[in-house]
Amino acid sequence: MNRILGIELRRSAAAGSVLMLLLAGVIMLYVAPRRWSPGWMPLVMIQREYLVLLWPLSLAVGAWQSRREHRSNVAELFASTARPRAQRMLPTLAALGIAVTCAYLATAAVAVPWIIGTARYLPATAFVVAAVGALAMIAAAWLGLALGRLLPHVVTAPALAVAGIGLLMVLPAAVRHREWLALIFSPMFGMGQYTDYQTVYGRVSAAQAIWLVALAGAGAVLLASDSWRTRVAALLPAILGASLAIMVIPRDDKFVATPIDPVAQEQVCAEGSPRVCVSRVHSGLLPEVVPVARQALAMLAKLPNPPTTAHEDTTTYYPATSPPRQADVVLMQITVDDHGHLTHEADMLREMVAALGANTDGCSGPSPSVPVMRAAGSWLMGREPVTDDSDESAEVNAEAVKLWQGLQNLPEKEAAARVGAVRQAAMACADLDGLLTGRAQ
Amino acid sequence: MRTVSAAETAPTTHPWAVHAEGLRVRAGRHLAVDGLDLALGAGVHGLLGPNGAGKTTLIRALATVVRPAGGRLRLLGEPVDGRADLRRVRRGLGYLPQQFGFYPRFTVREFVEYMAWLKEMPKSMVPGAVQRAIDRVGLTSKANARMKTLSGGMLRRAGIAQAVVNDPEVLLLDEPTVGLDPEQRLDFRELLRDVGLDSCVLVSTHLVEDVVAACSDVVMINEGRLVYQGTPDDLIAQGGTGDAGDSPAERGYSALLRRHRSEAGR
Amino acid sequence: MRWLALYLRSRRVPIALAAVVGCAAVMWSLWSTFSNEREVGVPMVILTVLLLVAAVTATLAGPDDALERTAALSWPPRRAAHLLVALAVVVGLLLATLVTGARFGPAWLVIRDAAGLLGLTALGAVTIGAARSWFLPLGWTLASIVFPLSGVTSSEILTWQSQVPGNKTAAVTAALIGVGGLIAYAAAGPARRAPAEAAL
Repeated sequence: MNRILGIELRRSAAAGSVLMLLLAGVIMLYVAPRRWSPGWMPLVMIQREYLVLLWPLSLAVGAWQSRREHRSNVAELFASTARPRAQRMLPTLAALGIAVTCAYLATAAVAVPWIIGTARYLPATAFVVAAVGALAMIAAAWLGLALGRLLPHVVTAPALAVAGIGLLMVLPAAVRHREWLALIFSPMFGMGQYTDYQTVYGRVSAAQAIWLVALAGAGAVLLASDSWRTRVAALLPAILGASLAIMVIPRDDKFVATPIDPVAQEQVCAEGSPRVCVSRVHSGLLPEVVPVARQALAMLAKLPNPPTTAHEDTTTYYPATSPPRQADVVLMQITVDDHGHLTHEADMLREMVAALGANTDGCSGPSPSVPVMRAAGSWLMGREPVTDDSDESAEVNAEAVKLWQGLQNLPEKEAAARVGAVRQAAMACADLDGLLTGRAQ
Repeated sequence: MRTVSAAETAPTTHPWAVHAEGLRVRAGRHLAVDGLDLALGAGVHGLLGPNGAGKTTLIRALATVVRPAGGRLRLLGEPVDGRADLRRVRRGLGYLPQQFGFYPRFTVREFVEYMAWLKEMPKSMVPGAVQRAIDRVGLTSKANARMKTLSGGMLRRAGIAQAVVNDPEVLLLDEPTVGLDPEQRLDFRELLRDVGLDSCVLVSTHLVEDVVAACSDVVMINEGRLVYQGTPDDLIAQGGTGDAGDSPAERGYSALLRRHRSEAGR
Repeated sequence: MRWLALYLRSRRVPIALAAVVGCAAVMWSLWSTFSNEREVGVPMVILTVLLLVAAVTATLAGPDDALERTAALSWPPRRAAHLLVALAVVVGLLLATLVTGARFGPAWLVIRDAAGLLGLTALGAVTIGAARSWFLPLGWTLASIVFPLSGVTSSEILTWQSQVPGNKTAAVTAALIGVGGLIAYAAAGPARRAPAEAAL
């Protein structure tokens, strides 16, 4: 069997399809590297999302391979041989399965050097997600083999590919009120990267794996079947698998569309003081973050009771999580560029200082007055207030400039005290009006 | 030279390798083989007959590609009609169909090895058997060439190689010499005689000279029935100077055919 | 007329026509059943055009092209006519849906994509054989549906199938590919494929 498998790997569509799928996968990944540069989980999840193209191509590869028997007129010769059809199909199944798996995993391997310097957090879930992706490719190839044998026409392979991509693109909309169904039957669903902390629940992966194994099994049985009775029996594993997957997956109220990994959000700190911590998924960026953060903390040190620690802002919206509000912690927004390195450092610095180290997200009521905060932040940074929002009206920045000039005219300690008062008021969710001009005393 | 297993040297328990009694086989809707009685033992048997006589259908039935519609058929002592398990019989079969289909991308060696695997040969014997089969048909120099690069005659010889790779007890060849040049036909006759020493070989061909030269037994069928079975010398003796044909064997052939047709007409 | 009938049968055109009409009907029914809008979504239109073009690829080569090449009559105009009629069938079917409840349009998108994809298929038939000629159109079109880039000229050329109908770069690209494929196929014909049994 091993020799025959080697022959099949060399002489079937396996070799060409590996190259084609690898090329397609690598091109897709590198068209938009920003999507997966933050870390390993984004990489495997975005690769799963690109199954939207690779899965239909896998179907087409299987269907094309299946035409070989029909094209070559070997039916007569093989009918007189001893080996039953099921065993005869094993090398083809194995060869195609190996080929698509290798293509899928090699695509990820090609992307590894791109982020190996900065990506640190490698949970076991990443391997599970990649494995389910490879399983999806195998199921597609085997299903394509089976359907291509039932309909050995030239148009079968492209028609299957079109049907595959149509199904994948339509499925989320078709099951709008039961999104967990799309999660089972679509290998690319639920992989959106809204934050850098996305993950996939173990039960979801298990349900998807159950369905994909059942689908692959159904394809294999259909391929090996001789009579129409066995062909109908091939539906049985598919139905069983679907039912089991539906039972396993978290449904309805337990369903979470874009789960967050709390371990990825945990703060990991650099050595030295003042302490700078980032989330675990960004921990490879600490050497780049620490200088900027310490610069911001140095600027904020002019205040009375200044913040002493910088943490990454790990707030997420769906589901809503936010870091605890602590008085001596200033939050920073980490953005990652195409290569996984820290970018927009100047913006990060400005935002850290402009927020005065006060976490105002938990406040109910109106957001703090923009001119006041901007004037205070600009005083700390030692430069004139500038607007960064093109939709803003001109009076807002003019007001900020006026307040800033007022601060500039004051002696250092008085100005620092007033800005400190602004900070305390912001943290207490109080009103900020007049604090800088001294009128609210 | 190769080692011979004990099973191969054990005496056979069946009297005939191929035993058909009142065999009826359909080709589509038409009953191509209609009440054929045939008993073949070891040796090279030539199958002659006009086109449409049912030669190919008979060979297909013997190769277990089609199931008989009626009558009894025993191959190697096992019944192959009805719902029998054909795996054991098929391991001892070798078949070269008239339309030889193959995988063009496979090399000759790989294809013969694949066929050996399909015939469930023991794994340890396969490489040696493959090399031996390729040598016997004279394709050693082309063993690693892809099948799609072979000419017609070489392709046919590759087909013969896959038919003999498992040293079958029943070898069925349907028009095996198409495309072979005269020298290759001589080599092929040598191969047939060699194989026919131990096994039952049935060669369906239109080339009467091949039958006379290589076969120990001639079987003639017409319209699905057995017309004649005997040695080639007896076939020649059937013909006289008045019959159509350029060689004694052809004259004997046309004499038998004429006689059978007139009998059937009565 | 007799020659035309025999030619169509040798190329298995009746089956291909049935496949084309069948695929169009399936896509039309799917949209009519599952959507409330009259205008079919652009990705689905592109996929339908791709599917219909794939259904006619089998007719681009006969069972024995080497034999056909020995004919006395001139093949290039007939091959060109074959391609143009195929284009007319695909485009005509989809434009006919414009009066129905599921409109596969805009018309210019259908014409551009059908011409370009058919030209690409014809180029494939000339180089790698008619049976494999759907490889590149399928891969390219699926990729451009997944990544509809626009803005930069080079990315518009790369994803011409999914650009808006008014886009000039895409129109020029499709025209070039279509005309190039037509000329190549008419001049050279389908790639020589060795029959399964040589000289038998």
